[in-house]
Amino acid sequence: MIDQKIVDPDYLLFEAPRTSEYITGSEAVREAIKRANVDMAIAYPITPQSESMHLVGDIYAQGYVKEYFRGENEFAVMSSVAGASMAGVRVFTATGGPGTMRAFEVFPTWAGARLPIVCAFMTRGINSPLTIQPDTIEMAYLLETGILMLHAENSQDLHDMLLMAFMVAEKTDVHIPVGVFADGFFVTHTRDKVNMLPEDCKLPSYDPYTSPVPVMDMENVPVRQMRDPFVMKSNFISYAAHASWQQEIDAAAERSRKYLNHYLGGLIDVEHEDADIFIVTSGTAVSQSREAIATAREEGINVGLVKIKSIRPFPGEEIRALASRSKGIIVPEFNRVGWLAKEICSVIDEPRKVVRGPRVFGGMTMPPELILAEIRRINQ
Amino acid sequence: MRESSYKVLPGPEGYLPPAAATMGVMLPDPGQAIMEGESVDRDTALRAAALKLIEARNPVFFPGPLILWDWKPGVAEKATALKELAEAVGAKMIPMPDYRPKYPMINPAIEVNPNHPNLTIWHNKIDVCLFIGVHCHYANLALKIIRGGTDCYTIAVCAEAGHEEAMISLRDAGLCELQRLRELVIELKGGKNQ
Amino acid sequence: MKTGMLKISPGFEEIMPPEYRELVDNGPYGKDYGIGDLGSYKELLEEHPLCAGCGLALSLRLTLASLPMPEDTVIVGSTGCSALAFPQVALHNIHSLFGNQNAVASGLKRALKLRFPEKEKDVVVIAGDGATADIGLDMVMQSWLRREKITTIMLDNEAYANTGGQESGMSMQGAVLNMAPTGKKFPKLSLPEIAHTCGCAYVAAASPAKPKQLAKVVRRAILVAREIGPTYVQLYSPCPTNYKFNPKETVSLIKQREKDGLYQSKEYISQEAQAFLESIEVKK
Repeated sequence: MIDQKIVDPDYLLFEAPRTSEYITGSEAVREAIKRANVDMAIAYPITPQSESMHLVGDIYAQGYVKEYFRGENEFAVMSSVAGASMAGVRVFTATGGPGTMRAFEVFPTWAGARLPIVCAFMTRGINSPLTIQPDTIEMAYLLETGILMLHAENSQDLHDMLLMAFMVAEKTDVHIPVGVFADGFFVTHTRDKVNMLPEDCKLPSYDPYTSPVPVMDMENVPVRQMRDPFVMKSNFISYAAHASWQQEIDAAAERSRKYLNHYLGGLIDVEHEDADIFIVTSGTAVSQSREAIATAREEGINVGLVKIKSIRPFPGEEIRALASRSKGIIVPEFNRVGWLAKEICSVIDEPRKVVRGPRVFGGMTMPPELILAEIRRINQ
Repeated sequence: MRESSYKVLPGPEGYLPPAAATMGVMLPDPGQAIMEGESVDRDTALRAAALKLIEARNPVFFPGPLILWDWKPGVAEKATALKELAEAVGAKMIPMPDYRPKYPMINPAIEVNPNHPNLTIWHNKIDVCLFIGVHCHYANLALKIIRGGTDCYTIAVCAEAGHEEAMISLRDAGLCELQRLRELVIELKGGKNQ
Repeated sequence: MKTGMLKISPGFEEIMPPEYRELVDNGPYGKDYGIGDLGSYKELLEEHPLCAGCGLALSLRLTLASLPMPEDTVIVGSTGCSALAFPQVALHNIHSLFGNQNAVASGLKRALKLRFPEKEKDVVVIAGDGATADIGLDMVMQSWLRREKITTIMLDNEAYANTGGQESGMSMQGAVLNMAPTGKKFPKLSLPEIAHTCGCAYVAAASPAKPKQLAKVVRRAILVAREIGPTYVQLYSPCPTNYKFNPKETVSLIKQREKDGLYQSKEYISQEAQAFLESIEVKK
């Protein structure tokens, strides 16, 4: 283990010298966690995530992470992660696909309990029939859990977003979990150039006493404190308390916009801002779209790209503004249900402009030609 | 945000008011404060808070666990400053000792609870209240319920990032803000008497 | 808890509600109180909403009075009747979900060990029979298999009481309950034996009919968990509401069950735990 010094997060993310390496997405997870000053990580295997948490195990063995173990299933792991977070440590885990579904009951309680957990989701299809292949359908289910959702296009995003995630999650006025999503196999198992940070630097540690709720360590007040008590009597007072609590979680997500804008440089990236047609998408569909756009622009079609980096909070106003001056929006997706297209339609003034596709799923790659065909069709 | 004209004002706003943050109200940057949904400089907010407190019929302070208990260095000094501020204002103190749904019920004459702060405000006919030492999550919970069901004017002296649910909120506030508030109260009261 | 942490700030003594003033003046933190002192000090459990004659409430009260170090104890509970009482308990405690209590406790205990390496922090799971033996059995056993240094206490009222009296794995064979309209078809689970097999260093079954025994096993379980490994205590705590007996007969019912051979107290102690207990109990 290399001796690491604590540095300012802005220095680490924006100014520190970077060196380029050719690594997989799973290795990018290891490199991010190595510099994230993580106290504890809890693992459970599921393809295509397993390798990420193996590698986190390796850096635990080297001393970069202080505590690590394999839990018994994803529901239990997400519960153990919650317990660790309530005790006031910085904690990390990862899952994907069926693992996400197995753990599901826990996710809304992370947000409800104001836990700044960071979880990587290596997305994968959901049974039945059994599949281990990439598919982003699990994101549709997670949209309303209160978890902030960042979607990585590639290993570089995955690496940077993980480090940013801890900083955003732990802000007192946010203090809710952040999920960093990467498309399984396409990102986790392929090699890519990643500009890495100095190995001798790490993020500042987490101060649990700035939490918006008491830490469960019997070292702070009040001592008569349950996380989180039932508010379930059958009267308006109970309903109002529960409603106000849920609204506060929504408010926390809204407050994250300021920090995410700072770290991500905006919730979206736009290429060719003056375009007539936009491809609006997230994850690896962005890379496929970029290829299609290059060909279309050679053909003289003024098509641009909107890469959505944050799904929760959703960049509704940003997309609405772009949509209002474009003649068509194409939303390529790696899932059957088209959850991103639905999200976009819900925030723009003219949903009929939206082409809800192309979509591939079940593990298929997205041939840029499918996207190109839609661009040509709209352009006519 | 489209709805940035939203104002955080005394209620009763209604059955279930929205969270101010989801209506486009943003927390103040360091050095700033927030007043009725808009960012203002710290001194403007302090002066406005002092004025609200001295003009109130029945101003009440709601100290939470973080100031009620002398649990870490620095708290005792803040507690003393708060007490002196209350004396200068002529405000009563009603504590929020914890956040539990209390069984069988609270006594609204002597305590306030984040799950139903409106009961204490109604019972004591409080027209201006000041939150301090309450964990941020519970403060927002309570401030919103107060806005929904009462006409009480809310002031939050927050040691963290502030509260957009309060009508006036300071951020990163500590001993120095409490002392400044007391000075302003004394100054404004003096001014009135002249 | 740092010494002197629970001190009312200057000037606030008068406005602090009486239950807190009593906790400061006459509470159990940092004292060596046991059940023999009940009635002479301010208990951790404030007024609670459980039924008259509730065996679980009695077991809970005795358990809380038996904690060896309440000032550094964090409790993990689960959904059920006991969760209604826990907001009123003057200890940091967690309700997460139904059945995940031992998984939460595993993360909590390890995290507290990281943050306070020089200090003992007792993590005690207190949950009902549905949470422990049915929906959470997987995570309960896995925490034992992983040798987590936590104490698991089951408040066994032989039913899902809070949801209206359904059969649980801990109900007796033949018991007629909701969801067992013609009587339960299989026997009560022998969790103490399972705990023993799974590697618990200390296992006991007791009841509030013998408070001194209950206090002794709870204390032993927590001290062994601190030093050696996982421990399990099962407390038979009958439910007058769902088993429809007179609330004043809770304790006599336990005694009758014992006489009939349908309930027995138990204790399994590993050699290592035995040696440890002898070393501290002789000292005392």
